[in-house]
Amino acid sequence: MRFALSKIAHGLLLILGVTLISFTLMVWFGPDQTYSLVGKNATPEQIAEIRHELGYDQPFARRYGGYLAQLFTLNLGASNSSGEPVSQILKRTVPVTLALMIPGFVLGNLLGIALGLLSAQHKGRWIDRLVTGLSVTGMSISFLVIIIFLQVLLSTPYGLNLFPVRGWQVDDPGSYLRYVAVPTLSLVFVTLGYNTRFYRAVFVEESGRDHIRTARAFGASTATILWKHVLKNSMVPVLTRIMFSIPLVVISGSLLIESYFGIPGVGKVTFDAITSGDQPVLKAVVGLTAVAFVLIQILTDFIYKLVDPRIA
Amino acid sequence: MTCWGKLNPVNLFRYQFALLSAALAAVLMLTACDQSTDKAGPANSFTIYRHSMDGAPSSLDPAQASHIYANFLAVNLYDTLYRYKYLARPYQLESNLADGLPQVSADGLIYTIRIKPGVHFIDDPAFPEGKGRVVRAEDFVYSIKRHFDPRTRAQGAWLWQGRIVGLDSWKEDGSDYDREVPGLKALDDRTLQIQLISPFPQLTHTLAQGFSAIVPREAVEYYGQEFAIHPVGSGPYRLTLFNSASAVLVRNSHFREEPFSLEAEGYDPDMHGQFGLERLEGRIPPFTDRIEIEFIAEDASRWNAFIAGELDFVKVPVSQFDQVLQSREPPVLKPALAEQYHLISNLESGFVHTDFNMDDPRIGYHPDPEQNIRNKALRCAIIKAFDWQKRNEVFYYGIGQVFAGIIPPAAPEFDTRQDPALVARDLDGARELLSAHGWHTGNLPVLEYGFPANVTERQMFEQFRSFMGEIGYPADKIRPLTFATYGDYARAFLNREVMLITTGWTMDYPDAENTVQLFFGPNSSPGSNSANYSNREFDRLYRSSSSMQASDMRTAMYRNMNEIVIDDCATISGVSRRMILLWPRDLAVLPDRSFTGGFFFRFVAAAEPDTGEAPQ
Repeated sequence: MRFALSKIAHGLLLILGVTLISFTLMVWFGPDQTYSLVGKNATPEQIAEIRHELGYDQPFARRYGGYLAQLFTLNLGASNSSGEPVSQILKRTVPVTLALMIPGFVLGNLLGIALGLLSAQHKGRWIDRLVTGLSVTGMSISFLVIIIFLQVLLSTPYGLNLFPVRGWQVDDPGSYLRYVAVPTLSLVFVTLGYNTRFYRAVFVEESGRDHIRTARAFGASTATILWKHVLKNSMVPVLTRIMFSIPLVVISGSLLIESYFGIPGVGKVTFDAITSGDQPVLKAVVGLTAVAFVLIQILTDFIYKLVDPRIA
Repeated sequence: MTCWGKLNPVNLFRYQFALLSAALAAVLMLTACDQSTDKAGPANSFTIYRHSMDGAPSSLDPAQASHIYANFLAVNLYDTLYRYKYLARPYQLESNLADGLPQVSADGLIYTIRIKPGVHFIDDPAFPEGKGRVVRAEDFVYSIKRHFDPRTRAQGAWLWQGRIVGLDSWKEDGSDYDREVPGLKALDDRTLQIQLISPFPQLTHTLAQGFSAIVPREAVEYYGQEFAIHPVGSGPYRLTLFNSASAVLVRNSHFREEPFSLEAEGYDPDMHGQFGLERLEGRIPPFTDRIEIEFIAEDASRWNAFIAGELDFVKVPVSQFDQVLQSREPPVLKPALAEQYHLISNLESGFVHTDFNMDDPRIGYHPDPEQNIRNKALRCAIIKAFDWQKRNEVFYYGIGQVFAGIIPPAAPEFDTRQDPALVARDLDGARELLSAHGWHTGNLPVLEYGFPANVTERQMFEQFRSFMGEIGYPADKIRPLTFATYGDYARAFLNREVMLITTGWTMDYPDAENTVQLFFGPNSSPGSNSANYSNREFDRLYRSSSSMQASDMRTAMYRNMNEIVIDDCATISGVSRRMILLWPRDLAVLPDRSFTGGFFFRFVAAAEPDTGEAPQ
């Protein structure tokens, strides 16, 4: 209980710090929407009217206080661009982003772990070099190039023409698979290299430890060594990587994936808010991402204790 | 070397890989099945038109329809009093909701407009029992008043600001909708009257803008701020879906029945005969049941979707011109593509130009008359050193139209006999000017060239710097002034903080008044005169011409103003970009992105050459 309370108190402080910094950055360095909303031949009075409507003329402390109140009450206001309540925007877009990102996220991590284990097991041999080489190659290719390449290869008459180039008309599992397949492949392609390199490093370090040598001396099978000793004992860094990726997947989505595949998720909405200076949307996304990170951190601390009881 | 016994884990990995491969194969098979089902029935594609746009609107409130993307939706979801004829060029106004052109008093101050009877708003919960009511003249009055209510965050007030009797003071008095505006009245349900402060010949054009679309007060009050995403209009379509990636419009089944007339729309067999429009004669628009609009800013994605048959219209990305065009001038499709698609090259209704901030004494007006003359010589030298042909070649594939001054080719008043030498590069002339006025590398001022941070703008800056390098302008004296977003850039130049301002202007209506006002002194920043240009003779001509109906004399005055700006070297101008638009040959349509745009949606139809039937 004390552990939980201490984590929550730390979390609250962290949220305050993160929101204060991000809010300050948004207010002082973020885009000013006034000049996007003002009409042609605007007078200084009209510019002042818009600034007033947007709340830019309020003191900083009042604006920050209002922001915190919005976050804690989850009454996030309405978009300055469309007038749609931000909570409604998130309700509409977050499930789309989840449905879009989860397959790629899960596959990318599972394959990364599998390849990491394989590579670690054959450290220094041709399989390791091959996996490492392919990982570095994957990491070196731009996400944009991968997306366009896979679109052309899988979705146009220049290639196999099997999947839609873009869109998200998901009514049933079949249409879901059709629309999610190429984005998922793109995501797996781009994340696999990073995941494999990371997991390989973790597993190589773990496999050099005394208890692995002891298990091998006892005649444990390779599978047992891999799954029971290496993977299980590497769970802390593995969990850390996976858990801390979740808020980005859920809240921020993937701008490029959503833009290039025409998917109305939260990533695209966030990008539009950044470029247009739609502060209510931006504040909500930044604030909720911060809250999600803190919650994930608390949850991760609990899971650490489950997978490794030595952690205090 | 680390090796854990035999190859069991490899086998394990093989099993995993086999499982994943099987799953992927299943997805591919399912997809193939799904897709074949989708592609089987051509019937749907005849009544669905799938349009693509290279940008997206964030609001569907006509009061915020400040760009072409928002206008496309506004004029289809709502009614405007007037529209432009579908095919006639130069553009001609045509009644839309209005019952005929306005009756204008002899002094040009009072416009009386009748609206068509029996036009209904779409059914919507905003109305009693959800039934759309009749559109009344009072709705137009309300819609224009909204632009003068700060709560609307409207962007179209500038069209009528200082023009309509009592409208500005209505705003100053608190924007009370129940208070009448003397110059904006509904005489009865079908008649409205607009009284102007001074003649404003462009008024009817403003009534064809998305800004002037007619909204019902009940819906605005019912949806509040969310009205921007709940359009309730009387246009040919109503909205069923809208998000950051797409919008779906379906035919408004109660839209008034007005037979399509080729003659009335300005049909010319020589110009339009190839597009299959003849079969539409006498039919009732809108011809398409459903319009799906994809907002695709990414060129590659937009092009791939079009080639894959997922779209019926595309603005071809410049990067694809080489793949698509057999020749540039005139643009002709490669034979294989010509069998499948129609092409038009659409000249933009605007232009790109780089203004000098005349308020900046380093390059613009200077209190010392001698320095003032030297500054002018410097500006003129910069203009002479600018290579428009190269700019056009590198950034617009050489198919943009370069011209001198501030009246672009899309304006009816454009002088087609303009001397090409005005935009020809003259390096010797530039060097002579600099030397004659005592400019040398040591005393040339630092030029700050502003632009929003993106690759193309940066490349344009570098090209500008290289042009200037050829007249001896030191590279370190031409500096980029970058901004994260266009909004930030706009803030800076509207606050007169940018020395060289590159912007594009899209004309709101086909009348050069809309571009010459960019250099009218009283419109200086934060108004649209970003150059902060001021010339007494120019201003006098503008004031005199602004109340004149279109005539040879007015055209001569506009051209005179154009020459004044050219002589004063206030702007490096300009180029009108040309867009290449493609659509499948089985569609009977002539798309257009100029001016308000979007009115053509109601006339899109599948040509169906076998049966002679157009979809209803």
